[in-house]
This record gives sequence, structure tokens and C-alpha cells, in this order.
Amino acid sequence: MQVALKIWRYDSSTGDRVLRDYEFDAPDEATLLDCLDIVKDKLDGTLAYRKSCRMMICGSCGMRMDGAAVLACKMRMHDIAQSGHIPVISAMGNLPIVKDLVVDMDPFWDKFKAMKPYLQPGYDRPADGKEYRISQERMNAVHKEALCINCGCCVSECNAMESDPEFLGPQALAKGMRFVGDPRDAHKVERLEEYSGEHGIWECTRCFFCNERCPKGVDPRDAIAKLGAEAIKEGIDRDMGAKHAKWFIRSTETTGWLRETELVPKTQGVVSSVKQMKFAMGLLKHGKAGLSFPPDIAADVDEARFLHKIVHAQGRLGYEGHVQGEHALAKLAHGYEEGGRDPYGPGSFPRPYLPGEEPSSNGGAEEK
Amino acid sequence: MIGEHDVLVVGAGCAGMRAAIAAHDAGADVAMISKLHPTRSHSGAAEGGINAALGNAKEDSPEIHAYDTVKGSDFIGDQDAIEIFTAEAPGDIYQLEHWGAFFSRREDGKLAQRPFGAAGSPRTVYAADITGHVLIQVLYEQVVKRDIKVYEEFFAWQLVLNDERCQGVICWDLLNGGLKTVGGKTVVIATGGAGRQYRVTTNAYACTGDGTAMALHSGLPLKDMEFMQFHPTTLYPSGVLLTEGIRGEGGYLLNKDGERFMKNYAPNALELASRDVVSRSEQTEIDEGRGVNGSVMLDMRHIGAERIIERLPGSRELAMTFAGIDPIYEPVPVRPGAHYHMGGIETDNEGATELTGLYAAGECACVSVHGANRLGGNSLMETITFGRRAGTAAAEWALTHTTIEVPESLERDAERSLRELLDRGSGERPWKIREDLGSSMLENFAVFRREDQMVRQREILLELRERYKHVYVEDKGEVFNSDLTQAIELGNMLDTALCMVEAGIWRKESRGAHARPYDYPKRDDENFMVHSITRWRDDGVELSTSPVRVTKWEPEERKY
Repeated sequence: MQVALKIWRYDSSTGDRVLRDYEFDAPDEATLLDCLDIVKDKLDGTLAYRKSCRMMICGSCGMRMDGAAVLACKMRMHDIAQSGHIPVISAMGNLPIVKDLVVDMDPFWDKFKAMKPYLQPGYDRPADGKEYRISQERMNAVHKEALCINCGCCVSECNAMESDPEFLGPQALAKGMRFVGDPRDAHKVERLEEYSGEHGIWECTRCFFCNERCPKGVDPRDAIAKLGAEAIKEGIDRDMGAKHAKWFIRSTETTGWLRETELVPKTQGVVSSVKQMKFAMGLLKHGKAGLSFPPDIAADVDEARFLHKIVHAQGRLGYEGHVQGEHALAKLAHGYEEGGRDPYGPGSFPRPYLPGEEPSSNGGAEEK
Repeated sequence: MIGEHDVLVVGAGCAGMRAAIAAHDAGADVAMISKLHPTRSHSGAAEGGINAALGNAKEDSPEIHAYDTVKGSDFIGDQDAIEIFTAEAPGDIYQLEHWGAFFSRREDGKLAQRPFGAAGSPRTVYAADITGHVLIQVLYEQVVKRDIKVYEEFFAWQLVLNDERCQGVICWDLLNGGLKTVGGKTVVIATGGAGRQYRVTTNAYACTGDGTAMALHSGLPLKDMEFMQFHPTTLYPSGVLLTEGIRGEGGYLLNKDGERFMKNYAPNALELASRDVVSRSEQTEIDEGRGVNGSVMLDMRHIGAERIIERLPGSRELAMTFAGIDPIYEPVPVRPGAHYHMGGIETDNEGATELTGLYAAGECACVSVHGANRLGGNSLMETITFGRRAGTAAAEWALTHTTIEVPESLERDAERSLRELLDRGSGERPWKIREDLGSSMLENFAVFRREDQMVRQREILLELRERYKHVYVEDKGEVFNSDLTQAIELGNMLDTALCMVEAGIWRKESRGAHARPYDYPKRDDENFMVHSITRWRDDGVELSTSPVRVTKWEPEERKY
């Protein structure tokens, strides 16, 4: 197939940045990475990009295609090439570019290391010296987080990091959750304290771009949500973000509504809120905010209260009530649904048989 | 010199990281060199699992594990090394678990174990089908915890030999450019395999045998280089690995009619015979016209959606992404592909090589645990057990010796030959030579080997080496010049390939992965129950042999 690409070339020694066009022939099954190899081998040996496993596990080849992060080795080009679209390839976002599609990963790894990303076991090692006994179900709670290959696609797309480069970010926080949710780790509370600081859990803007762009189904935003829930459960709620979230709960539990007027003082505290009085008056004047005292109680408030009771009764506070293992595994089903077509139906590959047995007529090549 | 360390580990996959951790814990100042970042290493692509006789699923013992390994090796594995290996494996697994490895679990909360090829008991510990990924992560976590220095994206190029010992490594700094020397009282090579010598391979682009070539060029002996394992289930057409765990979970291999042909070749073990046997059976089916597009079919349909999604999600994703096939509904086309090098740098049971101060571990090394054919699940275990042993031994030596001295003349020579390559104004681009290497090795030195083809392959390699003398690096820049490193990698692959073919021509028998059905179809214990040794002499290969170490298992006929 004929493939055309536009690639943003960058030379860090001169600072030159230029968009180059490339056109070439590639095998039908070629991925974006295969295409870059063709460019480098046959058209321009100076093109720089990282690669290694070409099977979606090493995490080297994160880059942007048409402005969104992808793993180049996972991106099949056939349909794009056939459609006539010419994709623009560029380096990942939120990280300094070194050359062409290669970014400086140091800030990424610094944040990874800031999470204390290693098991900190307690003193209750198995007495027999063998493995800890833990159920699969219990481990499934961090199944998705354990899939992370550190490719950086989530960080590339992170909106919060764009405004605060110090934000720990989706990758590091997902790694943090991997230990917070590990029953063998004895430092959950300390971790939650640390992760709840400035540039931590509560700085996420919940744009969900990380979930969207993760090539491995890690869903970093879900991990951040789990961390937040677990922090509140453990009473670690000094951060405004935590207070904000808590007020949502309190407000819906008491009146069934979200009482926005009280949200600011409950989140930021009284002193800070007083400073914003002028702004608040402006809102009131233009009818953008309302004052009602006593607060209006929703007619079906009991339903909201009942939901709270269920959560408490089932012990589903914290991360365990959030995104559980079964959801994680469902996500890995890649769109599989029960009751799909019959794998042995007409037109399918012949049913297996052992030598000496009669080949089954069920399914089979002859029906193709 | 930009740094000096007690122990310098080259390569940061499972073996390298395990060695670094062990050396650190033994009290040494350790650093690692990687041409990638540690978590990008190809150990992470291992899927199926890691073997240790824990006995969680069924009764098992290190002794049975050792026998299976000896038999799998076609009786050319060194039995003392194998006994150490299987005895220490369980402890190493528990250590990984205590560090936080995310292994799959049984109902009773213990580590799950699945059946693997040619294993007498289900002894393969696993993490769904991403076991390597889980190990790479847990080892890197421990490296971070110990704050071990990593020279990331440093391309190791030459060993520093001075005073008859190894004292460091000369590297090309990929990110910033320039040759940099890192000193080490001891050096551990753990650079993995060289599957990229073949056009169809499960190996990453990075698997070019740089450490093996570095040792070879420093005069060290390589052992059993003729034994390249072909994995029976690499996905058509990309060569991406589909784990043996699929067959461990019950997957079938079918020819074009749907026949489970393995019954004709290994009536008892069927699909779970050892890898050399299965690869040969597949190749026979394909050669005799019972394949589908040069492949056979790997059928998981009967395993059922639920179990495929739970235990083999990664394999399913690979099949869907790279072949457009959902294995829940359709069998997947697979064929044998170059996977693992049983041979490598000769070491003793502590990972020490012939050269003082130089150690090796993992796929680049040859202890030898795997002999002529490695069992699935044994390589990850080898990286851990022998990585640890090599790291400990390297630290012990380093802590009793003090100085590092790198003669300036060595650095100047290296600089000169690098500039000669980099500044060359014209010549042949590396890709064509690389493609010719990959296709010719696959054609002439793969699953089945013929005398005339091997001899032809030797000539081809000599021609390719001539062409390589004029290889042209187009990128002249200093920053992330992967054009330069890829050219160096190609040179490394050509030289180690020559060792493989020379040893292959010499071995006039069929043993393990070295199958010569046309002229020497039988194993010949009388003349060839020895290791081949290849060294670099006068710009060519010199062959010799070394004895196989036998403890308690005498050779017997190998049937599955």
C-alpha cells in the first residue's frame, strides 16, 4: 500500500522545527512503527524515534499521531492509508523534545520515583518463608494498574500537567495506586498522605484523556479516583480537592441537591471565601447564584440517603467500592460480549480432530 | 572516565537488574548500563511464566525439575549447573513475591502454576500472560528503591581490557553523543539474545547480541552457539510471540484440515512436547503441504471466552492487533520463529568468564542450563537465579580489589574506529545488509539444517561482512543517533552469526535445536556429547570443544 506521512522534525542543537512530507510503499499489515522504519532505512537515516519490542509491551514508541498519543507499534496504518488521510506525526506532549520524536523522559521518571514505587512490606511476612497468601480477587483490585508499561501516552495528553508541570500525573499516580491497593504493602496511609499533597491526587482535572489514550487499558483516571476515595476513607482530607468531594457527598446526603453556594466556603474555608465576596456578590446580582435558607430539600432525598446507606452497609468506601477487579477484567474483554457467533459455525475453520479419527463435518473449509 | 563503580552491569533486563540488586545487597557500589531504559528491556515481553518446583499445583521437586531440564537439553546441559538452578529457583520465586511481584493466584491464595511443555508437573508460575512485564516492573522497583545508578541509553560498545582483567566499558552516549568510558572493578554482561539475526523472530529490535559480540571481540569463548531455539507459536506474519501458556491452557495445533498433527510426532505430550520437537513437527507439516500460508493454526476456541479473557488477555490482544483475528472465534496462524539463544558467553556456575573481572548472566551467557534446547519457563528463572549468583560473585571480587585503570590509548583507539565509521562519506546503507542477513539465516540455518545450506550460509555471511566494511551511517549528528547504533548492532550480529554457523557445520549430529534430518538424523553421544566453543581469531572463528558436566543422568532416548 502507498503511505504518506507528515513528520515534525526537530533539531535540539539548532532549535529548528520543520514539518516534512514522506511517501513510500509499505506492506498492508504495516504499523506506524514499520512505516517509520521504512522512512529511516530508505528515505532519511537521520529520523530519530525510540523503538524496541514492536509488540506493545516495552513502551518505547509513544508519540503523537494527529495530535493524540499512540503507541506506534500498535497503530495499524492500512485503513488510514486507504482513506487518503495524511497523518501528522509528532513527539509526545508535556515532555521536552530531544530530537524529532524522541522526548526527554527524565521528568516522567522523576515523578515515578517520587511515588516510592516499590512494595514496603510490614513485619507479617509469611512464617514459612513462602509466598503471601492472597486471593486473586483481592489482587484484581490493582490489576489494571499493574498493566502499565510506562510509555508516557497518558502524560502526553494530561491537561492538568499542561497547567502545572509539577503535577505528579496519571502514570505516577496509577503506580501509586498499584501499591495502595496491594494487601502486602504496609504503608498505605503514609502513601496516601504523600500523594495528597500539592501537585498530587486532587490536582487532576478529570478530563479522562489519560483513560482515553492509554494503549494498555490501565485507566489512570480510575486509579486517581480510587486514591481519592481511599484517602477520604482514611480521613486524609486536608486538601481542597478532598473537601470539595466531601461536600458533594454531604450535600447530596442531607438535601439531595448539590448546594453550590456553600461549596466554596466548605472547600476553601471561611477566610478564603470572604476574600471572594466581591465575586460572589457579582454572581448574586446577575442571578448566577442563589441563597436559600433553610436549604431546599429534594422531594426524593430518601433515595440519595439510601444510596449512602448501601455504600456504608456493604463496606464499599474507599477504592474497593470504586472500580473493582471485575470491571478491570471486563475492560480487557476488548468488546467481547457473550452469545457471539458460533466459533464452529458455517464457514469457520474445521473442528479439531485427532489423527485416526474422522474429520468432523461441522464447520469446515469445504463450506467456505 | 565518567564514572567508576565496584560492579558495572551491562544490560538492564531481568538478569542485569537481578545481578545489580544482588551486588548492591552484597555491599558493592553498582551501576547499570542500558541502551534502552530498564523497563524497555525485552525480558518484559516474556509471556508464559517462570519455572520453579513449588509443588503448589501438584507434587513436584527440584530433582524432577532438574531431570526435565536435562532431558529437554538433549543431555548436553551441564548437570551441576542445572541442579543448582532447580534447587535455588523456589527461594528466588518467593523473594520476587515478597518484593511485590504481581503473580496469578490459586483459590487458596498461593501462587498459581500452569503446565508447560516437557514439564513433569505444572510448575510454571505466571502472571496471566504478562509474566515478563511483571518481573521487569518488580525488579525495576527494587532498583529504584536501592537508588542504583543507571546509565540510560548508553550503548555499550567495547570492553576495557587492561592488566589481564576487565575494568570497564566504552559506550556511545545516545542522548548526548560521544564515547564515554565507565569504569568497573568487575563487569557483568547481561545483554540478552540476538534473535534479530533472523527475519522471523519474537525478539525486539534491541536483541542484537551486543554483549555477546563485545565478549567475542575481546577474545572470550562462546559456547554452544549453534543452538538457536525456534518458538513454535509466533504469529503470522509479524513473528510476535504467542505464549506456550496458550498450549498450557489447552490450546491445539492444527494443520489445514483441522487435524491435531502433534499426535503423530509426540503421541503422549502432543502440543506440550518440548519446543524443538513441536517446531520441527510444524515445519514438517508446512513443508509437506499441510500448512496454511506457510503456517499452522493455533486453536483456542474450545478454551472458551471466559478463560481466554482471564488467563490469556495479552495473547488475544496481540492476535487481534497484529493479525486481525479474535482467537475466541478463529484459530490463529503461527509458525516457528527464532526465539532464544541457548548458547552464549561461557561462564562457570557463578557467572564468571575466563577473563578476570568479567561475568555474564541471562540469555547472553551459557552456563549451560539449557543445553541444546531450553524448556519454556526456564529462561526467566535462569535470569533470576544466575543473575543473582553473578551479581553476588562480581561484588565479592570487586570488594577485595581496589583499582580501576583505563589506559588512554584504549579510549583513543575506540574514538578513532568510531569516527572512521561515523565520518564515512558514502557506502551501503545498513538495512539491505540486515535484510539479507535475516532472510539467509532463516533459509539456511533455521529449524532444519543441511550441510550444503550451512556451507552456503557461511559464504553469505563472509560476503555480508565484506559489504559491512563499507556500511554508511547517514546521520552525522551527536543527538540520539540511532542510525549509528543500528549500524554497530548489525556488525555485532554478523560476527556472532558466523560463530553459530561454524559450530553448526561442525556438529555432525541431530541434537535439540540442531536438526540435520538429511545427513545426520541421530544424536551421536560418542562423538558429540560435548559443547562447541567458538573464539574470534585473526578476523575469523576458531573452533574447539569442552566436556559436558554430568552428575547423575546418563543420556537416554528422548521421547515425549
